[in-house]
Amino acid sequence: MDLRPAEVTSILKAEIENYKGETKLQSVGTVLSAGDGVARVYGLDDCMMNELVEFGNGVRGVALNLEEDNVGCVLLGDSTAVKEGDEVRSTGRIISVPTGDALLGRVVNALGDPIDGKGPLSVTEDDLRPIEQPAPSVVERQPVDEPLQTGIKAIDAMIPIGRGQRELIIGDRQTGKTALLIDTIINQKTTGGGDPTNPEQVICIYVAMGQQQSTVVDVVNRLEQAGAMPYTIVVSASAIDEASMQYLAAYGGCAMGERFRDAGRHVVIMYDDLYKQALAYRQVMLLLRRPPGREAFPGDVFNLHSRLLERAAKLSDDAPNINPRFEKGGGSITALPVVETQEGDVSAYIPTNVISITDGQIFLEASLFNSGVRPGVNVGISVSRVGGAAQIPAMKKTAGGLRINLAQYRELQAFAQFGSDLDKATQDTLTRGEKLVEILKQGQYAPVEVADQIMVIYAGTSGGLDELETGRIVEFEREFLEYMRDTKPEVAQSIMDTKKLSDEAKATLDECIQAVIAQMG
Amino acid sequence: MRLSTVTTRYVEALFQLALERDVLDAMEADVRRLAGEVSDPDVAAYLADASVTDEEKISRLEKVLSDMNELLGDFVRLLFEKGRIEVLLEAGDAYRLRLLEHRGATEGRVESARPLEPAQLDELAAAMGRELGKEVYLRNEVDPGLVGGVRVFVDNRMIDNSVQGRLDGLSRKLREARLGAG
Repeated sequence: MDLRPAEVTSILKAEIENYKGETKLQSVGTVLSAGDGVARVYGLDDCMMNELVEFGNGVRGVALNLEEDNVGCVLLGDSTAVKEGDEVRSTGRIISVPTGDALLGRVVNALGDPIDGKGPLSVTEDDLRPIEQPAPSVVERQPVDEPLQTGIKAIDAMIPIGRGQRELIIGDRQTGKTALLIDTIINQKTTGGGDPTNPEQVICIYVAMGQQQSTVVDVVNRLEQAGAMPYTIVVSASAIDEASMQYLAAYGGCAMGERFRDAGRHVVIMYDDLYKQALAYRQVMLLLRRPPGREAFPGDVFNLHSRLLERAAKLSDDAPNINPRFEKGGGSITALPVVETQEGDVSAYIPTNVISITDGQIFLEASLFNSGVRPGVNVGISVSRVGGAAQIPAMKKTAGGLRINLAQYRELQAFAQFGSDLDKATQDTLTRGEKLVEILKQGQYAPVEVADQIMVIYAGTSGGLDELETGRIVEFEREFLEYMRDTKPEVAQSIMDTKKLSDEAKATLDECIQAVIAQMG
Repeated sequence: MRLSTVTTRYVEALFQLALERDVLDAMEADVRRLAGEVSDPDVAAYLADASVTDEEKISRLEKVLSDMNELLGDFVRLLFEKGRIEVLLEAGDAYRLRLLEHRGATEGRVESARPLEPAQLDELAAAMGRELGKEVYLRNEVDPGLVGGVRVFVDNRMIDNSVQGRLDGLSRKLREARLGAG
């Protein structure tokens, strides 16, 4: 750890300048009891809800329970340093986090303090924002109509996500939930070239709650390798942090995103994961003696998630005229919460809560994942309730066929296991389905651009691949995309320009598909 | 100072009675004297002694109580009956604070590195009084550890204008700055 003399000097300078400054009246209290990361405090008369308080030895806490004769606080630091009888001071400040451009490319904790060893954040007092903010009201929003491309074929084609949407990612452990998020972050590079100053660039915020530190390190490394860190903020409250930090991290991350949203930017924020956040919240609330409800979660665990996810929104273009807190209209926050299920049980308390709050869910299934379908998205039961409106017409059209073909395939799959005597039509459907499943497979850290996705999916749904061996589909995809880039770049260009797949382009694609198959031999 | 809820309740009842009978000040003196008597460690130990019956303890206390307001005698007997004799230890402070509250006043303490002049104390008390909208009585405590300046505590509020407080704040800021760098 290096000491920075310049900074020490600047602190001392400010101290000298303000030496004769105003002294202020502070509320004080005494610790009645402390332990397990919470403290009860007597006094603190004017304490506000969610106010930051300071204990005698510099440990900070948040006031959560305001009772008649005592205040219940959660401690945000070394809880063993707080003793009975210690003095507690109010700060008059609601718990806030630093926001703004200075955070991009950084790894911070739940309070916004950097933990990546890259030096202090250059933020001012004005950049602090309270972590709890009311969600935009009805008139300040507009319907979701712009796509947020994840770069994952199965999702962009069939479970499209729009900017401002909340799409849950749910599945057991080890089904590729975090991998899906990383791919999405990497793919956002296509929106603005990875340059955070480009207003088109989607800002990504990854909030890790209760994760292993090694996972967080791995995510950051992956993002750095892919050049995705410059437009990303990682908020980490890993398993070793206090439970209070783990549950507050989500709100802090959201406040950081709102700063960009209110300035008209697009943000995608990932909460990984809300189940562990609920566990941390449960721990803190039980220690504060709030009455337990179902599965011992406190009564407001639904609100814990709903008030967080409601803050994801697409702002109306007119929002600044309605509420001056918005600097510029049209910005959005897309939330991608993750919930880990136990043994695929999506009907447990927290999963059902979050499913009911979000605008759809992506189910990741262990059986699919283990049988080699990666990402292991179960497209049959995954839905996106609002994203369809945000899909570009070319994709909508192409993917329509995909959905029907896959549905028929799944239905017939069960029959196929019995026997040999299948009629031609059934066999065709099965072959087509197999190819489509193969087409939707995708490597990790390899997001595909939307035009490429459309071309590949068109190849599958148009029947062009029916004759090709299933095992060679991956090879075909690679060759085909390379061929299209080299010989017919105008097809992808026209899709991007017109957002439509013209008959002319279809004809070119058909030709190219056959040409590539022939070339592969 | 934090008074137990039980003490506050019993003393409130005593206060209300004294208010009705218009003996607030006399009662204050009596309660203070009584609390002073029982705060003696020997007396306190005797009162807590389980081998002595309540009647015996009351009869011993009777001597002190005889020239006090009769309400107080009944108050003590009630405390014995309810097994709450420990309330008596805090009763003096509790009653005084209740009386101050009744008069729109409060008390507090000033910590200073050197003893303050009475005039300084009055000035501080007046200033605090203006801030809180109450009459404030301050008592001076000397704490050389403050180095200089004063620290005023009134009603769960504090004004820290001591050199020590400044130094603490500075050390915290410097520590945080290093944290950021590392």
